[in-house]
Amino acid sequence: MPEQYAIEMRGITKTFGSVVANNNINLNLRQGEILSLLGENGSGKTTLMNMLSGIYAPDAGQILVDGKPVTISSPEDSKKLGIGMVHQHFKLVDVFSAADNIWMGREKSGFALKGDRYDEIEAMAKKFGFDLDPRKKVRNMSVSEKQTLEIIKVLYYGAKVIILDEPTAVLTVQEIDKLFAVLRRMKEEGHSIIIITHKLNEVMDISDRVAILRKGEYITTVNTAETNEQELTEWMVGRKIDLNIDRPVVEKTRPLLEIRDLTIKNDEGAVAIDKVNFYIRGGEILGVAGIAGCGQKELCEAIAGLRPIQSGLMIHKGDNIVGLPPKAILEKGISMSFIPEDRLGMGLAPSLSITDNMILKNYAAPKGPFVDRKSGREDAQRVIEELEVVTPSTETPVRRLSGGNVQKVLLGREIKAGPNVIVTAYPVRGLDINSSYAIYDILNQQKQDGVGILFVGEDLDVMLALCDKIMVLCHGRVMGVVHAHKTTKEELGLMMTGALDLTDKYEDKPAGIARDTNITEEQLKSAQEEGEN
Amino acid sequence: MEMDKLGVITTFIHNIVVYNIPLLYGTVGEIVVEKSGSLNLGVEGIMAVGAIFGYIVGCYTNSMLVGILTAFAMGALMGLLFAALTVSLQANQNITGLTLTTFGLGMYFFVGNAIKAVRWPIMSDYSSIKNGFADIAIPGLSQIPVVGKGLFSHNILVYLGIVIALCMWYYLNRTTPGLRLRAVGENPGSADSVGINVKRTKYLHICLGCGIMGIGGYYMGLNMSGSFSSACWINGYGWIAVALVIFANWNPIMAILGTFVFGFFNTLRVSGSSLAVAFPETLGWLAAVPTQLYQALPFIITAIVLVVTSVRKREGSGLPAALGLNYFREER
Amino acid sequence: MGFHIVKRDSCPLWKKALLYVIAVLAALVLGGVLLLAMGVDPLAYYSRMFTMGMVGNKIAYKAFENYLKVFVPLALTSVALSLAFKMRFWNIGGEGQFIMGSIAAATVALKLGPVLPSAITLILMCLAAMLAAGIYGAFVAVLKVKFGTNETLMTLMLNYVALYVLMFLGDRKADWNFFLQEQSARPVFQSFADLASFPKIMFGKFGLNICVILTFLVGTLVFVYLKYTKHGYEISVVGDSAGTAHYAGMKVNAIVLRTVFLSACLIGLAAAFKVGTAGVLSTAITDDVGWTGIIVAWLSQLNTAVIFVVSALISMLHYGSVAAAATFSKVDSSFANMLQGVILFLVFTAEFFIRFRVVRNKKGGKQ
Repeated sequence: MPEQYAIEMRGITKTFGSVVANNNINLNLRQGEILSLLGENGSGKTTLMNMLSGIYAPDAGQILVDGKPVTISSPEDSKKLGIGMVHQHFKLVDVFSAADNIWMGREKSGFALKGDRYDEIEAMAKKFGFDLDPRKKVRNMSVSEKQTLEIIKVLYYGAKVIILDEPTAVLTVQEIDKLFAVLRRMKEEGHSIIIITHKLNEVMDISDRVAILRKGEYITTVNTAETNEQELTEWMVGRKIDLNIDRPVVEKTRPLLEIRDLTIKNDEGAVAIDKVNFYIRGGEILGVAGIAGCGQKELCEAIAGLRPIQSGLMIHKGDNIVGLPPKAILEKGISMSFIPEDRLGMGLAPSLSITDNMILKNYAAPKGPFVDRKSGREDAQRVIEELEVVTPSTETPVRRLSGGNVQKVLLGREIKAGPNVIVTAYPVRGLDINSSYAIYDILNQQKQDGVGILFVGEDLDVMLALCDKIMVLCHGRVMGVVHAHKTTKEELGLMMTGALDLTDKYEDKPAGIARDTNITEEQLKSAQEEGEN
Repeated sequence: MEMDKLGVITTFIHNIVVYNIPLLYGTVGEIVVEKSGSLNLGVEGIMAVGAIFGYIVGCYTNSMLVGILTAFAMGALMGLLFAALTVSLQANQNITGLTLTTFGLGMYFFVGNAIKAVRWPIMSDYSSIKNGFADIAIPGLSQIPVVGKGLFSHNILVYLGIVIALCMWYYLNRTTPGLRLRAVGENPGSADSVGINVKRTKYLHICLGCGIMGIGGYYMGLNMSGSFSSACWINGYGWIAVALVIFANWNPIMAILGTFVFGFFNTLRVSGSSLAVAFPETLGWLAAVPTQLYQALPFIITAIVLVVTSVRKREGSGLPAALGLNYFREER
Repeated sequence: MGFHIVKRDSCPLWKKALLYVIAVLAALVLGGVLLLAMGVDPLAYYSRMFTMGMVGNKIAYKAFENYLKVFVPLALTSVALSLAFKMRFWNIGGEGQFIMGSIAAATVALKLGPVLPSAITLILMCLAAMLAAGIYGAFVAVLKVKFGTNETLMTLMLNYVALYVLMFLGDRKADWNFFLQEQSARPVFQSFADLASFPKIMFGKFGLNICVILTFLVGTLVFVYLKYTKHGYEISVVGDSAGTAHYAGMKVNAIVLRTVFLSACLIGLAAAFKVGTAGVLSTAITDDVGWTGIIVAWLSQLNTAVIFVVSALISMLHYGSVAAAATFSKVDSSFANMLQGVILFLVFTAEFFIRFRVVRNKKGGKQ
């Protein structure tokens, strides 16, 4: 008789438009175990879990709970099946108290709201080992308090299967210990738990088994006791593949863009980038490696002038660009393109045509009141030909293009403007091999023209082959900058998970600070003073 | 002479209540709808539809209860239409609401004129309606000098309106379904994630709220003694209700208060001159105030409230955070 | 077993067009059923309505002139509103802006009309109306940009403030109130038709009001403005994604202010056309174009060319239903409002099928 799993997912496929987020995934969760779900950013973990929690409906495949096939078409169904999920982005009502956030989803909670619900929920929270002020409004809560509330909520609904999407990312070490103690107790009481996390030490610490996803595909599931961090990293990032990407050697210039002690907060108000130092020279590609949400997005936005910084310096050719409006930064020749997960979020107006998106950044240049669509159309035509964009015409709205073609349009526009610094995040996200190579060629061409490139990437093989140097971020901190031809995938993987810190590798030179810096003493001093204030 | 003067005050207070409680129906109904996250600009039209059907059916069956129920049902039907379009079909709420007003007023005149061409029911011919709409004095309270008769001797629909407002306040703030409703209006995504059926909640409360508006319309019709002319019975009250929701900060009890404030100005418009005659020395200036100022005041006050609350941001505001936004679960 | 809905990437044009046509036809059929139930022949009624009673009418040219009087303010207001809507700014305040424009135009006509040549008075009327309406609209945009005040509710409130200002002017006899006739004991709006009235170009008996030509001209300009100018480009980017506009270095707030001002200005112009044609104010001067215009702009998907077609049809509906009521006394002219509502509801339904696909949920048990 086959083993009866708490959850069994068979052949799950989910696509969003033309993006395949999950492809034929098989996953099973044993009764009373803690399963870690491991994978890089965009590997489809959250999408997969959202199909268990009823947010998404799968396109194909089958889900079994306790051996019985089920249809989960709403969160209500999911809850009834005893599945509870703690989402990474809090699903809380800001103006409600902690207790009411829990109470609103309680079954058979009676008609009248009574004052004793506060006591009941406080008592229950205590039972699970949490301190909770049931009357506190969510909007007055800190990030970790909100996270705690989310966890208590699911526990309260009495879920047998608990899914936690990166629960530890916002908790302190002590809180993590507490959480893990709770999880272990839940396990002893017979609950089955799936936990998504990137921290390998936590994976080793808490889980019984680990399931690994990569780029929307299921890789394997192993017993934690029979594996190690090295092996897991390898599965997560894949074996080294020789990609045959050119890395032309180019004469480097003095630093074009220098970042000093940069600290940035994310939308939730937590520190996203923590005292980061680095610089880019003309004629080099600096890769930025790191796992999901290590501050890559915030860094890119800050450089483009779209996000205020907390402290630090951003010096472009000797001029401080901190506080400049996006337009002024554009005019200095700094181009930023960021491909978010949905690929349409930033930098493109999805309902407008390719031509219109081409002229987005320089529409104001021609004299007179009219937009120069003629040259925009020529540019669009050129980008379509050179980058082999598949589109019915230059007038097709960008939202109708497939993902790869959208990216080509975006990057094509950025390069056409003739920037001296290119910041590009995930430019090959979701692209097929040929399109990816086309993009690498474009970047190399730019590098040879003396442009400095910051390449935020996901695929370590690509970064090893394409970049000159690679900076590794782990939770907003730089773990070191290494030469791409001297490092290995394993080393990068360990740095990404925080297991290896190479910031003090070179004793004679502080990491991320150029010897021939353009930054003047004056600029440093004024930045320091500002930091003190 | 003194008694007459006090009589003027009593009548004034009485009129504040009588002529403005329909506003309360519209407002409380709209609060219920908006708390579900739907901005419904069709109040005027919904009240009109409730009014015309409630009045005609009520008269022909010679039953006030049937009239009330019909008005409620027709209002709820209009709500159902709004819900189907905005909740299920994801249509724009502003446009749908405005169209509902046009459509509702169209239906009001169409049905009204059609009936008028055949036989218009005259209210005084129907004893149950006429008697049902008569004032009922609350024993004891109505004996209080001056204000007693003004506040505590009214027709059944006045009491019903107050009761509905109180019930809705209790429902919204002190019950679990009310809590769930507010969750849907604030953040449908989180409501959905804990297993609250967002669609059902929206449908139910849009219909309920619109039904309440319908009763308000019926009241307006009775207040006009059912005389059908070229001006609609609702006469802009639906729009004042939309304003009053903001003034009342989405709170049904504040809506009662707001009804009295707005109603005070509204009544000054009608009986300001009689006050001026009764108290020429102190209130004589009232006669000089243009009536249109009283009419515009609810909107001016609401505009100021809108600006003040937006300057102060959301602290303490009852504005549902997801108001006007359609919810689509798979949105990424 | 159930259904869930999925967003569509695209929908072919022919399918869109077909769905819209079906929606409008279905609305007419529904209206026809109602007519039948009342014992009226729907075909006869509709043909009367859509020819606006002009067939077999000796003064058909007069009817057409009057039809154009309905059409001009509606078309221009719809075009104006589409500017703001394109930017996702919910200007529900067309009524109020129209009224403010009317008052300003009437002021110019009454005060300057007697001293200036008619042509100059007319031009000044247009300018004054545009300025008054523009400021009235831009005021809300300032609040929106500065404090995030909800523009839907704010413009709504200001509609009524404007309406009561107009009613006050039409009601209060006083020395200062030059809007009213001096001779009349009752308050009656003073006519200024002989001081300032938009000229007509005569084609035989039919007089084509110059406003019609100007409306088409403005429509064309707005079309060009939206489609070919930098401003128009900015509007479409801001409307599509404010984040992207910010990223491209656009001054989003300034663009919002400018566009709302322009939108309200054009509504003011529509008001000047109306006032300069009617030759007198009235408390019903707007003829509800501020409301109907919203519906027209939305039905036309904010496309300037389509707006002209749709407002021509909606005007036909309204004007035609009045004409038809003369023949079919059973059918009240409010039938047009109902029909308009049903058309929009069904168009919304059609739009749903353009934007989404309904997918049948897969059964859990089967692969």
